[in-house]
Amino acid sequence: MKGSGELAKFSRRRWLKTLLGFGAGLAMHPAKFLAWAADMTPARDESTLTVRVSRPFDAETPVRAFTSFLTPNDHFFVRSHFGPPSAETIGESQWTLHVGGAVERSNEFTMESLKQFEPVTITAVLQCSGNGRAYHRPKAPGVQWERGAVGNAQWTGVRLRDVLQAAGVRAEARHVMFQGADRPVVATVPLFVRSIPLEKALHPDTLLAYEMNGRPLPLLHGAPLRVITPGWMAESCIKWLTHIEVREDEASGYFMQTAYRVPVKSEQKDTGRTDNATAPVEVMPVKSLISSPEDGQAVMAGGVRIKGVAWAGETRIAKVEISIDEGNTWQTAQLVGDDRLYAWRQWQFLWQATVQGTFAIVCRATDERGHVQPAATSWNPSGFLWNGWDRVTVRVHPHE
Amino acid sequence: MNRSRVIVVQIGLLVFSAVMAFSQEDPESVSAMLGPRGEGLIIARCAVCHSADLITQQRLSRTRWEATIEKMKHWGAEISDQEADLLIRYLSARYHPNAPANVPPLSHEIGKSEPLKQEPQAQRPVIGVAARGAGVFEHNCQACHGGGAMGGMGPRLAKNPILKLDVLFRETVLYGRGPMPAWSSVLSEQDIADVHEWLLTR
Ligand code: HEC
Ligand code: HEC
Repeated sequence: MKGSGELAKFSRRRWLKTLLGFGAGLAMHPAKFLAWAADMTPARDESTLTVRVSRPFDAETPVRAFTSFLTPNDHFFVRSHFGPPSAETIGESQWTLHVGGAVERSNEFTMESLKQFEPVTITAVLQCSGNGRAYHRPKAPGVQWERGAVGNAQWTGVRLRDVLQAAGVRAEARHVMFQGADRPVVATVPLFVRSIPLEKALHPDTLLAYEMNGRPLPLLHGAPLRVITPGWMAESCIKWLTHIEVREDEASGYFMQTAYRVPVKSEQKDTGRTDNATAPVEVMPVKSLISSPEDGQAVMAGGVRIKGVAWAGETRIAKVEISIDEGNTWQTAQLVGDDRLYAWRQWQFLWQATVQGTFAIVCRATDERGHVQPAATSWNPSGFLWNGWDRVTVRVHPHE
Repeated sequence: MNRSRVIVVQIGLLVFSAVMAFSQEDPESVSAMLGPRGEGLIIARCAVCHSADLITQQRLSRTRWEATIEKMKHWGAEISDQEADLLIRYLSARYHPNAPANVPPLSHEIGKSEPLKQEPQAQRPVIGVAARGAGVFEHNCQACHGGGAMGGMGPRLAKNPILKLDVLFRETVLYGRGPMPAWSSVLSEQDIADVHEWLLTR
């Protein structure tokens, strides 16, 4: 095969750059991408991301990158259901956005016609519902994300509300469904289709974003257009968006009716199925992470600066606390930097590490509505919404 | 309850648990025994849609493995009941809830998997039958090589020069190449000859 030689020459680093980079990724055909991704093995040192699944590509950000307020595009976690679609559907000259369903006038937009709406920029956390799945017990099936399937970016786009109002939402409308251009390898696999309630869709902060951190949306992050539902988990933030349908009911299909749902009542059985009523995963629960020091790091006795981030869906962070004794006593950290709804809040704490030895540093956040991050999140069959206390272990060495 | 009744019950329980322990499969030997076949099945039956790492990072109970494979079949995984049984035994012996985080990764090494059937070394060359090959192709190859072998995620096989190179064709299919799975643990020599014959008619 002619392509394979070319592929081998292309270094893994360059590959990631192309796909995560600045919109230039469209040059690569998805067939090549698939063939290539299959060859990738998890490589911690070579890339800036920790690969969890090589095809379709799922990779998380090492938490040390969270010492910066914005997560750079090429360090941002990637979650793919089927991987990027072919250039034929999302290339600049072919791509269109169709708006239909329970509206007065169906509409078809090109990128140019979409950009006639007022541009808006919002800084918001994007987090996979499965972030932290690896910590649920019993273990739940799915990508075994640890701490880094989350990031904070600046999203620029137009308001979904403006687009819907231009089409005229009819009185019976209750939900808005999104579909992207990505397709499974085998056609019998259900499409990745999701819907959100009309109220969230009409919220002035819900965007159709074409830029990420001031750059055109990279291919792996949904070029040319994706949904951003600030404060909500990322499965509503459909990538490679091509279709919007206003509906009376929730979208049907596996990814809306079975996956990305949690039982309304908590359960402990591990039967692989649930008989309880379930509800879609929506708002992000309060959560914090320690970005420095790193887990397993050695630190010098004396003042140790502990840093991290905390976020809370549709509300703000009120408090972050640190414990060095497994949660028996807590000390309040200092909130620093930008304070914006939907973005994460940075925090720091100066720990006087006087005793040498090994210590677990634990943090928890409280939001403005009084929700406190729990020691461990209640179990659910798919391992969603983990927000247990974050923990790193450090060794304190004496001064020489 | 009087004392002797308690003792009888206790003895009963002891016997019962001894029998249970005896009849239970020891996960390590099951996983070693089924390893080559199980790994081959993962590559051949599952890697069409996603890489094997999505499977090997799970630590699931047998019930949840069963439910997972049922879901994959429903979505289009081409796996027979007998293959599914074997794979479930293998996965629940190797990737069970108490397995360590770093079970050594699946070996993608060439020729590791056991042949499907211990066929006696062919006395005469295997003759392919195109009509049978169409079915072999549909179940095993079409997802990647496309309808009519016109190409998809994998290269076009219709009129592909490799069809003229019998040995190379057979070895590529048996042992895989790059993202192309190895078929040695799933297809027989006859199946490979059949699909080869069918491809020549395309
Ligand atoms: C026809 C395509 C297809 C085949 C073949 C397939 N899978 Fe999957 N598998 C999927 C899809 C789609 C997902 C869900 C991916 C997602 O959520 O993004 C998945 C997810 C999984 C998961 C993660 C847990 C979960 O339930 O989401 C496991 C484990 C898994 N598959 C195992 C297997 C095994 C074992 C086989 C081989 C018997 C197999 N798969 C074959 C399509 C397939
Ligand atoms: C999971 C996807 C997948 C499946 C299933 C698959 N192949 Fe492939 N196949 C590929 C890919 C990808 C390549 C290209 C490999 C490379 O680049 O080295 C390939 C290459 C080949 C080649 C070499 C072609 C050449 O131009 O050198 C042959 C022959 C082949 N496959 C036959 C088969 C047959 C026969 C089957 C079914 C029994 C099959 N493949 C099933 C993905 C697949």
